[in-house]
Amino acid sequence: MRKAVRTERRFFRTDAIAAIALVVIFAAGCAKAKPRTPAGYLQIDINTSPANLDPRVATDAISARIGELAYESLVRIDRDGAFVGDLAEKIERPAPNTIIFHLRRGVRFSDGRPLDARDVLYTYESLLDPNNHSVKRAGMSELAAIDAIDRYTVRMTTRRPYAAALGMALLGIVPRGTPLDARDAIVAPPGSGPFKVVAFERDEAVTLARNPYYPAPSGALGGIVMKVVPDATVRALELTEGICGFAENDAIQPELISYLSRQPRLRLIRSNGTTYQYLIFNFRDPRLRDPRVRRAIAYGIDRQAIVAALLRGNARLATGMLAPENWAYNGDVPRYPYDPAKARALLESAGYTRARPLRLIYKTTPEGRRLAEAIQAMLRQVGVAIEIRTNEFATFYSDLRSGNFDLAASQWVGVADPHQYYLIFDSRMTPQGGGNNRGDYANPEMDRLLEAGDAELDPAARRAIYARVQQIAAADLPYVSLWWIDNVAVIDRRLGGFEPFPNGSLLSLGAARWLSPAAASGAARP
Amino acid sequence: MAFAGGGLRRSTSVIRYFIRRLAALVPVAFGVVTLTFALVHLVPGDPVVAMLGDYAAPADVQALRHELGLDRPLWRQYVAFLYDLAHGDLGESISQREPVSRLIRERYPATVELAVAGLAAAILIAFPLGLIAGADPGGPADMGAMGFAILGISVPHLYLGPLLMIVFSLDLGWLPLTGRGGLSHLVLPALTLGAALAAILARMLRQSLIEVSDSDYMRTARAKGLSRPRALIVHGLRNALTPVVTLLGLEAGALLTGSIVTEIIFSWPGLGRLMIAAINNRDYPLVQGCVLVFALSYVAVNLATDLLYSAIDPRVRLSR
Repeated sequence: MRKAVRTERRFFRTDAIAAIALVVIFAAGCAKAKPRTPAGYLQIDINTSPANLDPRVATDAISARIGELAYESLVRIDRDGAFVGDLAEKIERPAPNTIIFHLRRGVRFSDGRPLDARDVLYTYESLLDPNNHSVKRAGMSELAAIDAIDRYTVRMTTRRPYAAALGMALLGIVPRGTPLDARDAIVAPPGSGPFKVVAFERDEAVTLARNPYYPAPSGALGGIVMKVVPDATVRALELTEGICGFAENDAIQPELISYLSRQPRLRLIRSNGTTYQYLIFNFRDPRLRDPRVRRAIAYGIDRQAIVAALLRGNARLATGMLAPENWAYNGDVPRYPYDPAKARALLESAGYTRARPLRLIYKTTPEGRRLAEAIQAMLRQVGVAIEIRTNEFATFYSDLRSGNFDLAASQWVGVADPHQYYLIFDSRMTPQGGGNNRGDYANPEMDRLLEAGDAELDPAARRAIYARVQQIAAADLPYVSLWWIDNVAVIDRRLGGFEPFPNGSLLSLGAARWLSPAAASGAARP
Repeated sequence: MAFAGGGLRRSTSVIRYFIRRLAALVPVAFGVVTLTFALVHLVPGDPVVAMLGDYAAPADVQALRHELGLDRPLWRQYVAFLYDLAHGDLGESISQREPVSRLIRERYPATVELAVAGLAAAILIAFPLGLIAGADPGGPADMGAMGFAILGISVPHLYLGPLLMIVFSLDLGWLPLTGRGGLSHLVLPALTLGAALAAILARMLRQSLIEVSDSDYMRTARAKGLSRPRALIVHGLRNALTPVVTLLGLEAGALLTGSIVTEIIFSWPGLGRLMIAAINNRDYPLVQGCVLVFALSYVAVNLATDLLYSAIDPRVRLSR
């Protein structure tokens, strides 16, 4: 009996010791709290992890943002959506199918190796090698050849006169010999951009340090930590507390913008954006082939009210895919201000009455659910019954590509060159044909213009072609243009030199710097 | 002599039981992978399209489908998958183009770490609460402890996580907000994950203690002059533990597999987040691998619980 009691006592004692040990460990944990971002670095909170940082295979938006900071390409896109030289200091087009790039001298990769034409050729060749299965190969289908004229001159030859050919020159250049074995591409190869990737922990963080071979302004950021924080509330808390110094667009919930803008240590920078949201019609449905029905739906949606209520004013009403910042923008197109009476009249003339309402299946993602409900309520007023089907992205995307919808909500992000119109509105560019004409829209005049626009190398003549394209698109209404989403960045007041790009690019962080306390409080004044 | 023989018989029965349970893992694993394979292939969506994106040329889509073997009939893909699995190969992730086993190995420790810490936090909270409440049922301490427990069950992770962050990271500055690092990073996610379990355990322990306190041996102990709390701790606790351990076993599996929300809130790089991303990308091999690992972990935890029973209560016989 006594033995039994002793055993139980020991049992209890062991338990108690274990409990005390755990408490001590917890307390020790408390004492060790320290920030992970090195001093002088900027922490940027992002909502999803990049998949792969090698510019030859990276396709997701976050990888592209990081790529712009770590790699240089032959050209890049400026604020107007136009191509400008990056590694190329001069670009010539001596023949319709030929582009010559003269490279800047003295450029070095972050590991000190000099960059020249051989690195450019190697980067393209390794991407084009079918054995490497780069997903970016499809974007190079118009590229017939790339070769070096001398050590600092690269020639690109296209298969046909191709106006948007510079889009193929946006590839980040890596040092020759860098293997493209996607299995080992976790840590990024060296680049010649302002920063270099020093650590990549998937789903945790990407750490960028300054590229020692890239000139930095005085007081420049020591580096950048891109931290993956999937929860929107937590991102807002990190901003409020100064743990994170920068977040933009998708990483900020519209509901939290006004709260964040009231925080003393933060600054809200709102600028015009080019992300275009639209509703797409499926022309395979005979009812939607009637232009009166499409126009009725466009007139039946109060976009102003939706922008004010759901988007908290963070968008501009769109007239078409290209935003006013784009060099090819044409605002002189048919517009559809909210007019429920007109919508009802158009539907009636198309044969739809209250007794026989138009019923459509509207597909969207969970994020688009509230927008869908607002549109559903508005269209019910004019006699269009909408049935909403919400699916997670992969299912939604699959439906969109296979044409399994009547009406769907989607968006185009980062549209720069009007060549995009060819991919979405040319009648042959269905998803099966390698394009994105998902609603099966067809207009012979549109086809003719889009092919001419791709082959026209004179900017003024090209602009005239796309001005007409934008008019036809607004009249035919394969899409109802909704709005261009504003760029919203919430930044630490001490951060100077950040300049927003319409496409959301972070390129200006290369020259950004920490401000002195006096300058930062100056920036605090409205 | 008879005693030693009993011990031997007992340990052989434990071993036999253990082997039988291990053998039962095979049909469980087979069922899990078959069901997962069917589910991920039946839902719409295409991993190649998700990977190549908007501008993929049909020829490239076809080439990649062929290379990944996705153009074969489904039954052949299934047979190939089973064949690889039988050889210990989980395949290669479609979206990340790395071996599934490596991706899981990278993440699994983080998930186990969080689950173990959540379990520890739950036990640390539940035992004092349950003891306080069970020592004086109906008293003010009981009311307080059980009120606290109700709160623990009712508050969802989604709310508790940010609340703890605001108090302990932002206001007091004691703990880091998010991410995985040292022990300090573990405290808040563990509390968030363990809170609901702590509440359930505390209630269970209280109930169990109240039941044992009516038993004869407890009356004897009291009659010998032990105080009620002392009798409860020294004699009652061990007997009260069996139902608590049962619950612990069931819930520990749930902690392992149910930590996805906590992983998201605390930016914790665990298996749950990997699996969600894999589902979104229709990354079939990766989804199958994650589900298999989760299922096997669940079974393993339950097996461990059953073995723990017999350690706590010698009357429990492992035979089924």
